[in-house]
Amino acid sequence: MPALRHPAAAADNMALVKRAEGRLYLAPLVGFLLLFLGFPALLNLLYSVSTVSFETLRSPQISGFGNYAAALTDAAFWQSVWFSLRFGIITAVSECLLGLFLAIFLKPLLSARPVLMAPLMLPLMVAPAMVGLMYRLVLHEFAGPVPYYLFEWFGDSPAFLDYANAFRTLIVIEVLQWTPFAFLLFYVAYIAIPEDVHEAAALDGATGLQRLWRIDLPLMLPTLTVAFFIRFIDGFRVFDNVYALTGSGAGGSTTSLSIYIYQAFFKEGAIGKAVAASVVLFISSLLVLYGLNWLSARRKR
Amino acid sequence: MLKSLRWIVYGLVVFAMNFPVLVTLITSFKTTREIAGNPGLWIEQPTLDNYLKVLTETERFNIFLYLANSTAAALIGTTLAILLAFPAAYVIARSETGQKLLLPLVINLRAVPLIVFAIPLYMMYQWLGLLDTQIGLGLIFTIVNIPLALVMLVNAISDVPVELDEAATVDGASVFDIMIRIIRPVIRPTLVTTFIFGFITAWNEFLFGLMLTTSRAVPMTVGASFFFAASGGGVQWGMASAVMILGALPPALLGIVMYRQLSGSMTAGAVKG
Repeated sequence: MPALRHPAAAADNMALVKRAEGRLYLAPLVGFLLLFLGFPALLNLLYSVSTVSFETLRSPQISGFGNYAAALTDAAFWQSVWFSLRFGIITAVSECLLGLFLAIFLKPLLSARPVLMAPLMLPLMVAPAMVGLMYRLVLHEFAGPVPYYLFEWFGDSPAFLDYANAFRTLIVIEVLQWTPFAFLLFYVAYIAIPEDVHEAAALDGATGLQRLWRIDLPLMLPTLTVAFFIRFIDGFRVFDNVYALTGSGAGGSTTSLSIYIYQAFFKEGAIGKAVAASVVLFISSLLVLYGLNWLSARRKR
Repeated sequence: MLKSLRWIVYGLVVFAMNFPVLVTLITSFKTTREIAGNPGLWIEQPTLDNYLKVLTETERFNIFLYLANSTAAALIGTTLAILLAFPAAYVIARSETGQKLLLPLVINLRAVPLIVFAIPLYMMYQWLGLLDTQIGLGLIFTIVNIPLALVMLVNAISDVPVELDEAATVDGASVFDIMIRIIRPVIRPTLVTTFIFGFITAWNEFLFGLMLTTSRAVPMTVGASFFFAASGGGVQWGMASAVMILGALPPALLGIVMYRQLSGSMTAGAVKG
């Protein structure tokens, strides 16, 4: 992801904060990160190659890569990876397309009345876990308004959370809650495009669609990329709303990778397998990040 | 014509996106009998009974405990994140220290699924006696809040003219003086936004609350799910709705009041992060 601006005057500023003094003020943050992320990361690595149970937590026996084998040969592991991948990609694409449309289509309304933004941002303020619980009510076959109206109008209502439909239902729920985030990024990028660019395009006889395709979208491409990856990562690691609504539910069909790790640890007590899966997830997210940084570095050149 | 179409789309989108909150709000004002007969979006006999019951029948489900836990842990997690990030942000904005390694590392942290650290943190908490404590939960929220806090503060401090610092240095002020006396008042709006944003994020966290607390320090998000688990098959939808509304209210109110500042910080964190 793009680095922050480097002040050209940084060299002059060296006099303001001396190196040793600077390190002193960084130290609390660095220490905290080492304790709460660095140390756990090391523990992860250690436990992932050890035989360990809740009884022998403090004395893990190093035993090689059996845990990785256990995780990587577990069909449920790959099922959860597949769930997370599909969930992350489908939600990220849908949220970006919908958010982009809303940003462009609603701009005349919103720029005239900024207060209209507030109801659009409200979904972002509600805990995803709470939203998951709320949908238990919304979709409940007796107390929920959605089945009620579907029965009223069409005489039938699908079982939203059964094996066949749970995945689609969760996608819709995630997209409805997080499209505002993508929308917000696009809206800010869209209104930042100078008006004279549009006027010049209009003078050259460009139609609205040409202008969108040739000018606006290319200018917004960096934002699109960033939004897509943020939403993909958040979709891939989804836990809260899925767990609150279905648990791993409907025959394991909604077990995301995060839920898989959680359950392997807390429900099965398979600490080694859970930790190995964590490390696999950690390394893959580092690889994705590395690729992203490489991409953005190449673009800058 | 096109304008009314925009209004229609806006209305539909706002309705669909806020639908769960709307349904829950409506249900929370219905009697148990009405919920059974009328699951629709109107209320025949509005009642406050559900709220009264949730707030008074606290032996089995103590909502005040959950609200207090969420408040305490979110306050710890937000305050500590700012205390740690502020001096670091100053050094990063005003020198080259920390720009190469620390800043990119922390920014990228946002993209690492935190569940990766959950199991070792659970073990560490067990050794340290931090399981099921408000402080333990607050420390986790600190980690969650640090990336955005650091980015927002570095951006804000970079925007402060360096001449202010230089003038103060000439007058003999130390780095610490400059941070507290010069920078802090100037970037006050950013500090407030960072605080509100961090508070909302912490309040809405679920995974670590679920893993690291069991009874005394359970936060509201997890507590609300207990309400469902405890009632088994026969969920009392009216009371459950009141619980969810009360739990969602603090961040929602903060968010509505501060939506302008928050939209700014969200995009800052994303675009520059």
